[in-house]
Parts: sequence; C-alpha cells; structure tokens
Amino acid sequence: MESLTDASFRALSLLVSGDAELWAIISISFGVSLQAILYTTPVALLTAYALAHFEFPGRRTLVSLFHTLLAVPAVVVGLTLYLILSRSGPFGDLKLLFTQTAMVLGQMVLSFPILVAMGHSALQSADQRVWETAHTLGATPLRAMFTVMHEVRYGLFAAVIAAFGRIIAEVGCSMMVGGNILNYTRNITTAIALETSKGQFAQGIALGIVLLVLALVLNYSLSTLRHRLAMQA
Amino acid sequence: MKPPLFLFRHVTKRFGDRVLLNIDQFAVSEGVCALISGENGAGKTTLLKIVSGLIKPDSAKVHVKEVEMSWAKARARIQRNVVYLHQDPYMLDTSVERNVAYGLRLHKEPRASIYEKVADALRWARLDHLAHRNARSLSGGEKQRVALTRARIVNPSVLALDEPTTNMDQQSRISTYQLIDELRNEGMAILVASHDQTGFTPIADHHTQLVGGKLIEVETAVRRSRGTKITRFPG
Ligand SMILES: Nc1ncnc2c1ncn2[C@@H]1O[C@H](COP(=O)(O)OP(=O)(O)OP(=O)(O)O)[C@@H](O)[C@H]1O
Ligand SMILES: [Mg+2]
Repeated sequence: MESLTDASFRALSLLVSGDAELWAIISISFGVSLQAILYTTPVALLTAYALAHFEFPGRRTLVSLFHTLLAVPAVVVGLTLYLILSRSGPFGDLKLLFTQTAMVLGQMVLSFPILVAMGHSALQSADQRVWETAHTLGATPLRAMFTVMHEVRYGLFAAVIAAFGRIIAEVGCSMMVGGNILNYTRNITTAIALETSKGQFAQGIALGIVLLVLALVLNYSLSTLRHRLAMQA
Repeated sequence: MKPPLFLFRHVTKRFGDRVLLNIDQFAVSEGVCALISGENGAGKTTLLKIVSGLIKPDSAKVHVKEVEMSWAKARARIQRNVVYLHQDPYMLDTSVERNVAYGLRLHKEPRASIYEKVADALRWARLDHLAHRNARSLSGGEKQRVALTRARIVNPSVLALDEPTTNMDQQSRISTYQLIDELRNEGMAILVASHDQTGFTPIADHHTQLVGGKLIEVETAVRRSRGTKITRFPG
C-alpha cells in the first residue's frame, strides 16, 4: 500500500496530466447528471408551480409527500429501479439495467423531489401581485406562469444547483443500476468506491478532489444566489 | 345612451363571517370616470379587483353589453378589457423600460414600434431618465408613475385605478388628473378608488362612497359635454 503522500502526489499528476481514464470517468458523471437535471427540471417546476398556484384537495399532503421523499436514500431508489429493470422485472425487456440510461433514470427520480420541494418554496414566496399584474396586463396563464418564475428565478436556480449537487455526489443508485463498467457507467463516485476497495488511492483521491471542488463551486453559487434573494426581499 | 360595457348586479363578497360587499348595482360605462371613496377597509380594493376579474365574488350577475353571463365567461371578457392598477404596484425585477413594455410585448407587435411607444409614454410620464434603472429601486411615487404608464400603454377599454396618486408629488398628480381626463374623453371607462377627493371630484362623472358594503351616491353625475378642452390644469 502506498503512503498517503505518494498517493496524493500521484492524484495531482493524474489530474494535471489529463489522464484519459480519469477524465472519461469525470465526463460520464457530468454527462449523466446534467442529462438527469435537464429532463427533470421542466416537469418538476411545472409540478411546483401547480402546487403553489392552484387550490385543490390534497395539495398540502402532496407538498409534505415531496418533502418526505427528500429523505429517501439513493440505494433505495437504486434497489427499486434495479427490481423494475432487472430481467425478470416489469421493464426487463427494455434491457436498460447497467446502462447510462438507467443511471439517468435513477438520478431523475432522486432529483425530482428536491426540485419540486425547493421550487415550490421559491414559487410560493412570489408576491400575489406578480400574477395579478401579469394577468391584468393581458398575459395568458402560461405567460403569467413564466413571469412568476422569472421573478423568483434565483430561488429556482438554487433548487437546480442543490439537486445537481445531490445527484452528482450520489453513489448508491449509480452503483446498483449502472454496474460500474469502465468507460461506460463508471462515474466519479462508483470509481472512488472501487479503487479504494482495491487499495489504489491515487485515482480515488483525484476524483475526490474533483467532487470537492465541484461542491465548493456549487455552494459558492448557492450562497451568491441566497445573497441575491435576500437583497431582493 | 349606450348600454354599459359591464354591469355588475348583486355583488357579494365575504371574508369569513364578515360580509364585506353587498352591492346592488355597479356599472362600467365607456367615457365615464367613476370615483369610489370610503374609509380604510371599506372594500374599495376588493371591489376594484372583482370588477377587474382578479377576485371571484361569492355571487354576482354580470352583464356584458346587456348580455348576462356566467362569472367564468364574463371573467374572460373582463380580462381582455380591464386593466387594474394596484394601490401598491408591483415592479417586475427588470428595467423600467421593460416593465412598461410588458403588456405590449404580450402581443405580436414589432419590437421597434413597441419601444417607440414606450419611449413616448416614458417621456410623457417624465420617467425617461429612469428608463434603464431597475424598477424595484425606484421611489414609491416613481413606482406609481411607472405602473400607471405600464397600464395605460396597453390602451384598455377600462382602467381601474386603486389610489393612483397617493405617493405622487403635486406635478405628477396634476398630470395624472389630466391623463385620466383625456383618456375618459377618448372613451375609456375609468374607475378610481381614492381618498384624494379634492383632486378627483372635478374630473369624475360619478362619485359613490362605500359604506357598510353598499355604494351610496355622493353627487349626481355632472355629465360634461364631450370635446371641450379642460383648462383647469396648466398644460
Ligand atoms: N384575502 C382576504 N382575506 C381576509 N380578509 C380580507 C382579504 N382581503 C381583504 N380583506 C379584508 O377586507 C377589508 C377590505 O379590504 P380592502 O383592501 O378592500 O379595503 P380598502 O377599502 O381598499 O382599504 P384602503 O383604503 O386601506 O385601501 C379589510 O378589512 C381587509 O382586512
Ligand atoms: Mg385599498
């Protein structure tokens, strides 16, 4: 087993030298998580708007349901998806298990409640007058919705960033439905888990650094957005 | 005389146990400026919002050009014709210019012509120097002037103004009275809820007061002959 110093030094040189395997893993992570966010955001924000804007029976129960879903562990989502997609499962014929598509699906499921819950809080904080102003000046309901969303855009960006932060750092679901196949479904988190179990720390540390830097950037953007939100109020 | 654009009958609205409005009849007619006064909490804002289709009354019969309609149907007509101006207007988080352009941009109109109209309207409102400022950073009176400009530029058949002059300085008030007078003479229906009776009484055709949820006539209508230029206000 190499010393921690040696491993860290090799980790940096892997990052700097543009190691092909390492960067393939990083790009798989970003590719999968960005796709998941891209597909989920529109539906989740529409759901959040409906929950914030329309009165209907069971609305409050639905809102608390989404808040509860925030706490569902990634492995549980992974397990459920595994059972659904495995050969004997209801969607086994689609042969999606151990594909990037399966990982994207899993992360979509994971990001949906975050986007809805945080999006709902942001949209609910919008002043009633925004909708009234848009409506009275002749906006269609759809257009009025976009106006309301635009007014609380920092809160909505914050929701997207938080959701992205969660799914790119998630390991349980990707491991179960992705299968950790090199150059295909091995992403940052599953690679760290594997390399560490093999006692190879350099790649793990390098990938860990990437995740940490990403977390730093995301948190910095979140706090900038919070600052803007506070200024706006 | 032309039938009213909208005739609201038996309008009731309650909040909890309290019956806030119980109005027998309220007419919105072209070329007529109606002033509604009343104490704080009398229900002026609520009435204007109902008439603008923003609040659903508990019950109401609405006649649109003498045709009785359900609230849902009337509401669509109302939305197309009435613009409501908030007592405390909301400024969209963008420039003054874009706030004013909002209503025009909803319709298919070339950008150049929209911004020409916006520039004219801003010049009229003496807001042209603020065109590129974020509207949320304006003073209360400036916001009110932006909101009035944003409402009138879409050229609605009915303009419902909720305390349009409260935060305005003397000069802005005078030009607001003047604008309302002009728009009314061009055939727009104007509803004003205001405590500023000295300012609005001279231009209003009707003055009613909301007391205990009912509208009481304060002054019989003084119909002015159309087309006569009002000289009371300095140009
Ligand atoms: N959504 C609501 N829920 C409960 N009560 C309400 C609601 N909206 C208005 N009210 C009550 O109805 C009453 C009338 O309100 P409204 O804003 O119409 O008064 P107003 O005549 O415009 O007063 P002001 O002169 O202060 O503008 C107030 O007592 C207010 O508290
Ligand atoms: Mg009021």
